[in-house]
Amino acid sequence: MSATAHDTGAADDAVNGTVAERPPVFSVSGLWKVFGPRAERVPADPELAALSPAELRSRTGCTAAVADVSFDVRKGEVFVVMGLSGSGKSTLVRCLTRLIEPTAGSIAIDGEDVRAMDRTRLRSLRRHRAAMVFQHFGLLPHRTVLDNVAYGLEVQGLGRAERRERAAGIVAKVGLEGLEQRRPGQLSGGQRQRVGLARALAVDPEVLLFDEPFSALDPLIRRDMQEEVVRLHREEGRTMVFITHDLQEALKLGDRIALMRDGRVVQLGTPEEIVGSPADDYVREFVRDVPREQVLTVGTAMRPASSPDEAATGPAIRPGATVSEAIEAVARAGSPARVMDDGRCVGVVDADALLEVVAGVPGGGRAAGPAPGPQGAATGERPEPAGSRPEPAGPRPAADEEPV
Amino acid sequence: MATLTATAQKPAPPGILTHRAVRKLLVLAVAAAVLGPVAATQWPGAAWPGALTVDVSEPLGRASDWIIDNRDSHPLFLYFFGHVSNVVVLAVRAVYLALLAVGWAGVTAVGALVAWRVAGVRLALGTAAAFLACGLLGMWVPTMQTLALMVVAVLASVVVGALLGLAAGLSDRMDRALRPVLDTMQVLPAFAYLLPVVLVFGIGVPAAVLATVVYAAPPMARLTSLGLRGADKEVLEAVESLGTTARQRLLTARIPLARKELLLGVNQTIMMALSMAVIASVIGAGGLGDRVYQALASVDVGAALAAGIPIVLLAVVLDRVTGAAGERLGGPGAAGKSPLTWLYVLLAAAAVAVAGRLGDFLDWPDGWELNIAEPVNRAVDWMTAHLYSDVPVVGGTADWAAHFTSWVLNPLRDGLQWLPWWSVLLVVATLAWLIGTWRTALTAVLAMAAIGVLGVWDPSLDTLSQVLAAVAVTLVVGFATGIAAARSDRFERLLRPVLDVFQTMPQFVYLIPVVALFGVGRAPAAAAAVVYALPAVVRITAQGLRQVDPAALESARSLGATSAQQLRQVQLPLARRSLLLAVNQGVVLVLAVVIIGGLVGGGALGYQVVFGLAQGDLATGLVAGAAIVCLGLMLDRVTQPTERRTQKKGA
Repeated sequence: MSATAHDTGAADDAVNGTVAERPPVFSVSGLWKVFGPRAERVPADPELAALSPAELRSRTGCTAAVADVSFDVRKGEVFVVMGLSGSGKSTLVRCLTRLIEPTAGSIAIDGEDVRAMDRTRLRSLRRHRAAMVFQHFGLLPHRTVLDNVAYGLEVQGLGRAERRERAAGIVAKVGLEGLEQRRPGQLSGGQRQRVGLARALAVDPEVLLFDEPFSALDPLIRRDMQEEVVRLHREEGRTMVFITHDLQEALKLGDRIALMRDGRVVQLGTPEEIVGSPADDYVREFVRDVPREQVLTVGTAMRPASSPDEAATGPAIRPGATVSEAIEAVARAGSPARVMDDGRCVGVVDADALLEVVAGVPGGGRAAGPAPGPQGAATGERPEPAGSRPEPAGPRPAADEEPV
Repeated sequence: MATLTATAQKPAPPGILTHRAVRKLLVLAVAAAVLGPVAATQWPGAAWPGALTVDVSEPLGRASDWIIDNRDSHPLFLYFFGHVSNVVVLAVRAVYLALLAVGWAGVTAVGALVAWRVAGVRLALGTAAAFLACGLLGMWVPTMQTLALMVVAVLASVVVGALLGLAAGLSDRMDRALRPVLDTMQVLPAFAYLLPVVLVFGIGVPAAVLATVVYAAPPMARLTSLGLRGADKEVLEAVESLGTTARQRLLTARIPLARKELLLGVNQTIMMALSMAVIASVIGAGGLGDRVYQALASVDVGAALAAGIPIVLLAVVLDRVTGAAGERLGGPGAAGKSPLTWLYVLLAAAAVAVAGRLGDFLDWPDGWELNIAEPVNRAVDWMTAHLYSDVPVVGGTADWAAHFTSWVLNPLRDGLQWLPWWSVLLVVATLAWLIGTWRTALTAVLAMAAIGVLGVWDPSLDTLSQVLAAVAVTLVVGFATGIAAARSDRFERLLRPVLDVFQTMPQFVYLIPVVALFGVGRAPAAAAAVVYALPAVVRITAQGLRQVDPAALESARSLGATSAQQLRQVQLPLARRSLLLAVNQGVVLVLAVVIIGGLVGGGALGYQVVFGLAQGDLATGLVAGAAIVCLGLMLDRVTQPTERRTQKKGA
């Protein structure tokens, strides 16, 4: 798994140049976190390392919350780690800043070895470079909203006036004006999480870590908050690592998604890859109910234009457009649509091909259609024709408008 | 063993042997079969065999003599205990003089203003009224004496408790070391603390203050540690994720997050300190407790009541004010804008005090005193004449007491003393093992055996019989009331203020009304114990029943269960843990008061402590005190379900 997950960078390189060329912010390789007696022997022993969770438990009494995980988080991307509860995703994100001490493996932030840091350096990492947003907010109930937001700055040793001023700016940014003097207990769940978000933003970190930040919120509020994150990302282009158990949320926010099960990464790739070519039955089952047309792009249904005439007429759509957008265009025009990139026709989609994608019929995606080979699909590294995929730079809904 | 198991297996399903309780019983039965005859032949007779006792009174007496002889010369006393004692005396005196200097008007004003700031207008009025009532009853000076002792003792307890709690909250090893000690101290009767301090400091204010501190500091330590450990894990994690140092975490997160527990700790410490400061009158605390003690000694109920009422008022005011302060702090709108208003409060209080000085309002004016002792005594005399005995149909209160003594207490005591000593140990082991683990059983048996070894087997069984009788009454009445309170909202609303007041009153005060009603003896002591333990039992029972999962109750109702069925099949089984806790609390509280009952003719261990103190025979008192400790330990272990431990681990 480590090798495959690690290679994903190469895949992205092949696809486009914007994000993949950037240096990784977090570079994780072979990371293990094992709970239990004499945990360190598990990663060290290849035989134990290969055991299933149940076998490992019965043989050693240990649980591997994170097992041999490798990935890179690149500057400016939203990297989503998704999995069901108990899959190890929350442990994983805590290992990144050593809130939980990893058992084995390496973590680097901007090339600097996190596991080798002493207390002071680690504190400085937590103070300035990576801030976290928590599922249950983790606010200090005895402080006002403003002082909660300013807490990170206070910890850094900033003066009262300066930190309050900076905090006030952030409070306004997340839409909490007028609530500065309230206490967390007087706020709704959504407002509290905005405070949590503001607290993390206030220290102006390089990376924002989100640990299932919205799963304790009502659906409507959750959508608001997701849009807030999308907006923040669009405005600031901050690197984010986002933990979630909600597939919709992962697809909506993630530039790339690492899907975890039993501590291991089962598949790592763009939302489109996860939905379009699931690595195994587990992932397939997972994404079964996803409306494919909203995730897959027209690339999956595209074929070369059969004639110059076809390449010259019909409605034009972007290469990054989703299948559902293409369906609308085709339905309105009553004819196949052209996929236009920089004024050049790169292919054509027709009603039949789009229908096959929606139905999930194998072979539905023609030239670029997924023909899952286990190895390639597992990592999303299989090269696909250039231009057939959305640009993984920005948050997906805004993918084409802004490369960030 | 083999035959036993074989015969047991045949009629029963195979599962029964694997049942833990059955296995434990089998082991004990075998132990009894082997050890019983041996013990019976070796040491015949029911009482603890003389061969197995160790006479500790002589070395204890020597130690006590040595201490008395060396108190003024030995370096340990000169350079340590002497200083402690001097500091305590000076501090109490300073506070006392300060209180007197401020005068009654000043103290009342300061009390009311502080109460107003931390707890609102109503409690401020209540505080003022309480202070004035103390003056009206002619108890101003004793009240100030008690208050001065309390102030010093509470400050010391809070500091000591908070430091211990901090250590236990931050270090796991410290916690493991401290917790069993604090748990045990929590269940020991207040009386047990008196003698060791008297041994070192002699009778007087230092001993009283130190006994109070030892008694009152544990709740502070426990709650501090609990608060530090119980903080929301995610908040701490969030705080850590921002790169805090350990010191920052402690000061900005852990301590503020624990402030509710800390205030609760202060509240409990104050209540415990008051309770103990009153009891410590036996060892020279002076003040209100001393008045009650003297009055009770001469069965002067009126005088006892005149001193008892200020105690109750003080207790209620202190409890409500600190409790309200805690709630305000925890609740919303606890703004930190107060420094300026506090300044005003201080200024106003100073103004009143100065006005009091100038206007000669320092000593409570004699003309304003209300002598309630006489009318009360008249009422008591009338009661003695008319209600004590020979009331048609119902009988009299003294008759009840006599009947309770001769029909319940005496048979119970004689029965316990008739039982061979080894069978008592066996019963203790059985109960403790069935409800707990072999460890608790071992502790209980060793504690009980220690009583025998100390040579106070018979008086201890006497005390035990009073405890058992009182606990039985408490549980019957308490469970019934608790069930009623859980089922009827209106009844609970009526009951709540009564319970609130009863739970805040110091143990000592309960002796006054029972002496008025039943005279002196073992029955009044048991009655006081019942009244003292009832509120806790009622409250725990009612809470336990009300906290039963509403979904389980609803599903039972949806299946058409009658309310009796709901109670029997759903509520009581699901509230089992609370009920067991109620039993445990009931036993611990009853023991505390039964021991104090030694002051009103309860006899047995409590009397030996009092006797030891009064006669300067510390050895007797110390042995009795040790027996009390053992008895308390045994009773707690016998009624302490193991769930308590697992629950703590799981939480």
